[in-house]
Amino acid sequence: MKFSEEFEKRFADMLTHYPTKRSCLVPTLLYAQDEAGYLSDEVIAELAGRLELTELDVRNVISYYSMLTTKPRGQYNVQVCTNIACMLRGGEELLEHCKKKLGIGHKGTTPDGQFSLEEVECIGACSWAPAVQVNYDFHENLTVEKMDKVLAGYQEKK
Amino acid sequence: MAILKDIAAIAKGMSITFGEMFKPTQVENYPDGPGPFKGAKFQERFRGAHVLQRDENGLEKCVACFLCAAACPSNCIYIEAAENTEEHRVSGAERYAKVYDIDYNRCIFCGYCVEACPTDAITHGHGFELASFNASNLVYRKEQMLAPQPAHLGANSIFNQAEVEGGTPSLPAQGA
Amino acid sequence: MADVNITVDGKAVKTPAGTLLIEACKSVGIEVPSFCYYPNLSLQGACRMCLVKVEKMPKLQTACTTVVAEGMIVTTDSDEIRQARKGMVELLLGNHPLDCPVCDAGGECELQDMTFSYGAAESKYIEPKNHREEQQWSPVVFFDRPRCILCYRCVRVCNEGMDVAALGVQNRGVSSIIAPNNEDHLECEECGMCIDICPVGALTSGSYRYKTRPWEMNHVGTVCTHCGDGCKTTLGVRRADTGMEIVRGDNRDKSGINNDFLCIKGRYAFDFANHQDRLTQPLIRKNGQLTPATWEEAFELIGKKFSAIREKDGGQAIGVIGSNHTTNEENYLLQKFARVVLGSNNIDHHRTADFPAFAAALRGRANATASMRDVYNAPAVLLIGNDPTEKHPLLAWQIRSNVRLHRSRLYVVNSQPIKLRRQAAGFQLIPAGAEGAFAAFLAGEDAALASLGGSKDGWTALRDKLKTEENLVIVFGSELREGDITALVKFGSAVPGAKFLALADYANSRGAADMGLYPDLLPGYLPVAEAGKFHQEWGGIPSAPGLSLPEMAESAKAGKLKALYVVGANPIARFGIDPFVFSKSFVVVQDMFLTETAVIADVVLPAANAYEKSGSVTNTSGDLQLVKKAGEVTGTKGDFEMIVRIADAMGFDVRQLVPFGRGTRADMGQTRGAQSGEADRHAVWLEANGLELKMSPFDPMAILDEIQRLVPGYNISRLALLSGNDQQTNFAASGPAVAQKPELIVPAADGLFRSGTLGRYSHTLHSVMENKDRQPSEEVAAD
Repeated sequence: MKFSEEFEKRFADMLTHYPTKRSCLVPTLLYAQDEAGYLSDEVIAELAGRLELTELDVRNVISYYSMLTTKPRGQYNVQVCTNIACMLRGGEELLEHCKKKLGIGHKGTTPDGQFSLEEVECIGACSWAPAVQVNYDFHENLTVEKMDKVLAGYQEKK
Repeated sequence: MAILKDIAAIAKGMSITFGEMFKPTQVENYPDGPGPFKGAKFQERFRGAHVLQRDENGLEKCVACFLCAAACPSNCIYIEAAENTEEHRVSGAERYAKVYDIDYNRCIFCGYCVEACPTDAITHGHGFELASFNASNLVYRKEQMLAPQPAHLGANSIFNQAEVEGGTPSLPAQGA
Repeated sequence: MADVNITVDGKAVKTPAGTLLIEACKSVGIEVPSFCYYPNLSLQGACRMCLVKVEKMPKLQTACTTVVAEGMIVTTDSDEIRQARKGMVELLLGNHPLDCPVCDAGGECELQDMTFSYGAAESKYIEPKNHREEQQWSPVVFFDRPRCILCYRCVRVCNEGMDVAALGVQNRGVSSIIAPNNEDHLECEECGMCIDICPVGALTSGSYRYKTRPWEMNHVGTVCTHCGDGCKTTLGVRRADTGMEIVRGDNRDKSGINNDFLCIKGRYAFDFANHQDRLTQPLIRKNGQLTPATWEEAFELIGKKFSAIREKDGGQAIGVIGSNHTTNEENYLLQKFARVVLGSNNIDHHRTADFPAFAAALRGRANATASMRDVYNAPAVLLIGNDPTEKHPLLAWQIRSNVRLHRSRLYVVNSQPIKLRRQAAGFQLIPAGAEGAFAAFLAGEDAALASLGGSKDGWTALRDKLKTEENLVIVFGSELREGDITALVKFGSAVPGAKFLALADYANSRGAADMGLYPDLLPGYLPVAEAGKFHQEWGGIPSAPGLSLPEMAESAKAGKLKALYVVGANPIARFGIDPFVFSKSFVVVQDMFLTETAVIADVVLPAANAYEKSGSVTNTSGDLQLVKKAGEVTGTKGDFEMIVRIADAMGFDVRQLVPFGRGTRADMGQTRGAQSGEADRHAVWLEANGLELKMSPFDPMAILDEIQRLVPGYNISRLALLSGNDQQTNFAASGPAVAQKPELIVPAADGLFRSGTLGRYSHTLHSVMENKDRQPSEEVAAD
């Protein structure tokens, strides 16, 4: 298993921040996921070895956090919030629209591997509800029309 | 006068006798009557020999939970449990009674086992002809107490052959 | 720590500071219900059952995570609390299947008890329950997910207690689930601790599954017969066609030296007792074939042959080999039988540790041996050699628990990177075979450093550190022998309060050594030449040392050993002896199975195992414990009875052999009772011989009397022993012993999943996949 130099640098730096190796697990998993797209068995084995944990330990943590995944996702992970603030401002309609538009359901991935869709709990953008997070980017005060533009933007980017 | 008095008394007595002769009989025609009980009739609540029931699929209801044995005040129920497998399915749940013996030397027909049963597997039938010259015959095996297969699943019982052939749902087996 | 005063339900309670509220309540007999709290495991606070009202606190508090504070006023039962607990039970029952009649935990389920107490019989849920199929995680562990109440006890005991970490929690919230380490199955030590600790029927045992119910079994507390640690195990037995069948082993009542710990062998490997190959009738060789015979025939033949050989060739023509699995009483009786009845000192056993050297080194030192309890409490432990995780699971558990709960310091010196190094404050790897050099170095011989490797400063620092440890417990494996032990004891005498523990491999290895199964040592390590009180008690016994086990084989080869009497041992396989050397000898074997030794025998007597007899055993640390009869297989006899019957068949007055019915002490425990109810079964034979029915020569307690009287270190409290407590024996008053040949010590090839002959006939031990991974290339047989 080989990670990029940047990852290695971050990882080495992180080890110095905590008293025990175990504490680096969550950020390391996030970095690894950004790099590999998802947390494959190989990644899990590698990180478990580096942090002196059992693979089971690593899997327990991954399964706890919804932003960590052990299955491949699309290039852009569209996360639609449907918690109360967003729901009142039309989050659910947004989700329905995305489902129809992309032709996939919750946790689905388009056949071309470009988009994944996910219904998520609060992403902390209640003041600008309804909000959608695509990978690490936030899109706020959305309507169905605005959503179309957002998706089209990513489609162009490829 | 005394004679007349005597005659009247006899006539009165005989009138009851002759009157009864033409009324329907009150005596049960046991053991020459029809049916598995040979003419004996019982109240529904009568507690006779036990019957182990089957469910609608013909599987035994007993799951060998041992609660009847635990409830039994005379300690007359002996059970050995075993696990059902795909190939050999005896009861509806994971477990069944491989051995289920009731010792009628000890049973006092109190009905606690029936009350304790969580699956309504054990019930009191109306079987009453339990007497035996040999005490060891009084230990009844599961096979002796098990209700026959429902008629639509085919019979495996010697008890109610006629009813099974007739296509009517079979009654629980009675006694021995 | 200073004491704290609190009030619980109006009762004043004084308890050390730092105590948990739930424990403080328990100390005055107030039970606070809980699922997730388990003594000696980390705190979880997951089940919310232990909610109590603490005055001045706005909400109900969890008693299992609240530490007592001065002046606390606590209420453990009120309408509010009952309502809260009832609500918790109702939530737990929301998806818990109501299959109690089928569930193995039914009758000993904490959720059942709790539902009974708090009566959440009615549910507000109308949704159908979420059913999941049961999973088999290993041959001995089954998991039924809907029954799980997520108390995480199993996860914690596996992580903290066992240091195996095979169980984890995945997902979160209501969809949390206990997961095994290998996707759909477990790869672990298969100890089954998770099953016993599970408050409900989510984790169930593969061997006990759907067999019976807890209240239908008899529960007999006895001692595990596998390794030398002597765990107390409670065996659940039930009637079977062939006697009494053992269906379950556990120690949930936390009695004995092992608290609730048991390894796979103690918990599951009792199934050898009901193996189909078990011998159930005596076999006599007729026309070259072993053919079934009656007991009378067998005893008569053995009696006649032994008497004839003794008359013609003398006692030295008969050899006796004892066992590491038989009780102290049987071992004592066997050597007494050899010395008094056969007139021979040719008695030996399979030695797995140099106890004579250990006893000689500790002679005259009181309180110098460590018990299993000491290992749990000692502030520091030094472990030289051995791999306790594999060979002494209880010792490893005691050390781990001690390090975890008491912050004890563990020092490990080993030629392998053994698993216990993870708990060690200091771990030193040494070359194989250098354990003796380390002992010599500790004793001050700096020259020994040459064979240790590493830097001198490091070793010296370790030695200096060890010297400052008070009440150090020094545990050593059989790598250390003779002078090594003397050197180690010499070092230990410089450490205040140091105690020693020698590791031997089998259930009663220590007992066999203590009881004098040596050609040159009497019970209590008294050289045969100095028989002293044994001479007075027993009359004439030979004073020249006899033959050791390999010497017996040599003697048989030379045609001098005319008879061999083997009790529960398999020397042919264990020592690689050519079976043909015994072809001219008359060989009698008492065993459970047709072992390599039994197949060459002229008479084979089917023996009962340690789960099927009464008596006492001494574990490797010298803790004497009572063995109680749990199982029974029709057609077998205990070794004790067989030895007495053979003596009787030889025309020997058994009253001389077993001092039954003598004096007032002999009466204790000999009348009909739970421990010694053997008398009834032998009534016929007893009556025929004009013996008192209630006072039987088959009663091991009669020999225990003699052991207590004659064997130094064994004069323990009989009352404490009979009430199920362990008693520490010691070497302070033992004889001076004589030097043994170190090559006679052959460690067992056992591990966590292997247990000599017993293990060979255990289906469970064979069924677990870890066993296959670890099996050596060739099967190693042992007794």
